[in-house]
Amino acid sequence: MSKLGAVIEAAEKHEKFVHDQVKRARTDQKFGREMTERWSKIKAGIPVARAPTGLPLPRLALPEIDEAGEIARYLFGDGLPGEFPYLNGAYREMYLEPLHEIEMGDYGNRKSPDGSNGDSKRNGAKGNGTKPRVEPQEEPTRLFSGLMLAEDTNKRFHFLSAHQRSKRLSTAFDGPTLYGIDSDADGVMGKIGEGGVAVDTVEDMVRLYDGFDVGAPNFSASMTISGPAPIIMAMYIAAAKRRFGAGVVPNLRGTIQADIFKEVQAQNETIFPTEASLRFLCDMIEWTTTHMPRWYPVSISGYHIGEAGSTPVQQAAYTLSNGFAYAEMLAARGVPVDQFGPRLSFFLDCGLDVEYIALSRVSRKIWAIGMRDVFGASPRGQMFKLHTQTSGRSLIAAEFKNNLTRTAAELMLAYMNGTNSCHSNSADEPFTTPSEEWIRLAAHGQAILLEESGIFKHTMNMLSGSPGMKAVERAVEKAILDEFREIESLGGVLAAVENRYQRSQIQNAAHRYEQQIYDGTRPIVGLTRYRDPNEEPPKIELARTPRKRQELQVNRLKKFRQKHAGKAEKALDKLATVVERGENTFPALLEAVEVCSLGQITERLQELVGRFRPMV
Amino acid sequence: MSSPVRILTAVPICDGHDSAINTINLEFIRHGIEVVYLGFHRYAGDIVRAAIQEDVAAIGISSYNGGHIDFFAEVVRQLRRQGAADIAVFGGGGGTITHYDARQMKRQGVDQIFFAGTSLIEMADYVKKHYGKPRKRMGIKNQDLALARELTAIEDTFARGKGPGRNRESRNVNRASKVIGFTGPGGAGKTTLIDELVLRFLRYEPKARLAILSHDPSVIGKGALLGDRATMINSQDDRVFMRSMATRGQAGGLSPATESCLARLTKADFDYVIIETVGTGQEALPFRSGLIDQTVLVMNPDYGARLQLQKIVMLDAADIVVVNKTDLDRAKAALSEIEHRLTQNKRKQQLVATVAKRHRDPGVDELYEMIKGDSVAAAHDDCPKSDGRSKQSRRSKSAATGKKK
Repeated sequence: MSKLGAVIEAAEKHEKFVHDQVKRARTDQKFGREMTERWSKIKAGIPVARAPTGLPLPRLALPEIDEAGEIARYLFGDGLPGEFPYLNGAYREMYLEPLHEIEMGDYGNRKSPDGSNGDSKRNGAKGNGTKPRVEPQEEPTRLFSGLMLAEDTNKRFHFLSAHQRSKRLSTAFDGPTLYGIDSDADGVMGKIGEGGVAVDTVEDMVRLYDGFDVGAPNFSASMTISGPAPIIMAMYIAAAKRRFGAGVVPNLRGTIQADIFKEVQAQNETIFPTEASLRFLCDMIEWTTTHMPRWYPVSISGYHIGEAGSTPVQQAAYTLSNGFAYAEMLAARGVPVDQFGPRLSFFLDCGLDVEYIALSRVSRKIWAIGMRDVFGASPRGQMFKLHTQTSGRSLIAAEFKNNLTRTAAELMLAYMNGTNSCHSNSADEPFTTPSEEWIRLAAHGQAILLEESGIFKHTMNMLSGSPGMKAVERAVEKAILDEFREIESLGGVLAAVENRYQRSQIQNAAHRYEQQIYDGTRPIVGLTRYRDPNEEPPKIELARTPRKRQELQVNRLKKFRQKHAGKAEKALDKLATVVERGENTFPALLEAVEVCSLGQITERLQELVGRFRPMV
Repeated sequence: MSSPVRILTAVPICDGHDSAINTINLEFIRHGIEVVYLGFHRYAGDIVRAAIQEDVAAIGISSYNGGHIDFFAEVVRQLRRQGAADIAVFGGGGGTITHYDARQMKRQGVDQIFFAGTSLIEMADYVKKHYGKPRKRMGIKNQDLALARELTAIEDTFARGKGPGRNRESRNVNRASKVIGFTGPGGAGKTTLIDELVLRFLRYEPKARLAILSHDPSVIGKGALLGDRATMINSQDDRVFMRSMATRGQAGGLSPATESCLARLTKADFDYVIIETVGTGQEALPFRSGLIDQTVLVMNPDYGARLQLQKIVMLDAADIVVVNKTDLDRAKAALSEIEHRLTQNKRKQQLVATVAKRHRDPGVDELYEMIKGDSVAAAHDDCPKSDGRSKQSRRSKSAATGKKK
């Protein structure tokens, strides 16, 4: 049995545990009294939030229950926000506005000034838990961008983050970079700087984050790249060292996607055989979790699984099981769970299907149970730290301005699920890398929801736990566990991947989705319903990399290679020795990126471990 | 009945967006089209080479990662340069290919662009209507293309219900190539194994040329997905001529036209011709006696109980038995059971354990040596000034005729 089998058992056990606690609260008077007393104490500790109209509201909304069994069901089965199993949120306050003064309400006896769940933290920030924080919080908005050459993306980063307190840069790379290919490789002209930024060398990486203090507490970078992730990670570190010295390394904060499983299952941007990729990945995780304690070295991603056409349940099930498989591998390498557990983060898609009402809530619960009961993680390692992106697949070229509404609805769902951060897509994405006009609207969509509207800023649990949401939770949880059972019966995640199980399932779902669009089961406004027969092709400003810019990238790369011609071979030979010996490859990569381009390193590694063989 | 329309589909270099093309492939097949699928992240050169060898009527490219104007133009340019301008190029990219782009692409020789919102049925109908016409077969200078069109002509003859008549000439007398047949159950890893062998042939025999006839199942008059090429990363090489054949209703693992196509290939100057059958059952004996020089049965350790081995008739006929995926738990038991089964045959059969998915697998090296047989020496003492290829051919031939039973 793989650890996934143990997770299934743990989930079943937890279900039974909750059931038993409910029964006990109803039959064991002492325990029942404990439950009702704890409940009163929690309610008494909830401060008042004032809407701008003056309306008083509890800062935490709880179900209107007073019976011991139901209280037990809520506290053990769902958990308060920030408490196991984290169904209602990984943290206690999430998007709430900071309180400037504490006003206690009439929600119970006035005993404690802050509620009894005092040790949980809000939104990842370090608080002492005794007083609500008053300083401005980090915004959850992230905007993914990357275009043309490093300095062009750098300019976009400065544009996007100009008005943000925290600088959160989310980086998209171009096709050649995602495949570990240099910009001067045969046949990639035309692809350079398209759909993301071109990075060939550490010098590009220096230009990319120029003007940002990458070691500052309010800075974090995320990099969406998986196949060559360890090489790009090494370049990021090397570039930071060039700018700020070696002392900056422990302060580096951010995320690199580096999720190989979802590449093999869905996104197809992988360059080495799976086992070799996993080794390089684990080498990197081991190194960064030791030397860069604030870095997230893998973002376990369902987004691309969803975008490839999976059902929401498949997305969650494959993502979670991939996560457990990484945990299993790292544990097997002897990395302590409290070292890697808190550094695993997640990335999910949010579309318009009804499952999305509760998909991330359930995912958070299953992850917490598995990490606590199977891997022995402490609370920080149980929390499912989630980045969400609205669905690109759901955006439609026909009457594309409707995409604003689609994205807005998806954003609402994402925040109802308590995502820790979120990217909202631009309406022009069916056509191009977003232009500044539409990107601004996408970013403002989040601000309108979180800052203008009162939906999320006054009260935690504002929309949690409706009967409908509960019904979706139950159905989704059962379906995810059934998917786990299927994967386990195939021998676990890696064996299922090799038998292309997840791929086939995703492809079947994608095919069904398309058929449903054309048979009317899935109406698409502006396309299959209410279509404007006179619609003209839209006038969209396209972000395309001019030929001259592409050539500039190639010239820079060639100069870099000339400059380091002698040293490059030596560094690659050293890397090769480490690979052959089975040692951790990451330190050798850190040296190699100083003098080698991405493509040089990829090629040498492929000679040693082979190339990825695509699955159809 | 005439042959189904044959097209090739692929996703450009640095682009892994295969969701759309996977769905479209399925729809094309449903509409009776034979689709050779080359996969994602493919160079223009690989696409053009494959299109020529497979002699498709059109190439469909699905591009979502930008750079489509350059990429489509490059495919058209290479087709023209190779004398294959009659292979049409069409494609789509959802909203990423604008109407303005499409006009430019058409000026550069692209036949058709499908925009976002086009229904799958519209696309399939377009392909059937526009790419079903016969193309020129005479006066072709490109050797691969000429050979490919001859193979198409052979397949067409069979599709019209006419057999090979008296031209049944596939006996291995006087043929220049060594013919190796790979067979075995679906999922045993035949395709991966062949591709790993190709890597070794290309590396150790710098002049050798190979042909591969790869089979996928189909029903007569219906479409088929011919997808082996997509996973064969090492076989995308100018020294490898690969042809994907649909079985078009014939049982047993091969197509009605296989023998005639093989006869034609062995007359060309390939050093090796490799035939891969579709995944076969226990009763299968896909290769008629004398058709090939060496039979390789590829199995995986999961064949079931030991008794099942007695029922696999290829175990009697194969020259080499490969147990692939020997990294699986059951491998050790499987190897000893199969070895025991082979000793009962009291024939000189070779057994080898491989993990084809593993880079530089020593088992695959061993298999390579078995297949090369006595031509190993020729490769190793290859004198740079001599014509290595003709020497190779002679060696292979003598090896082949020497083995004749």
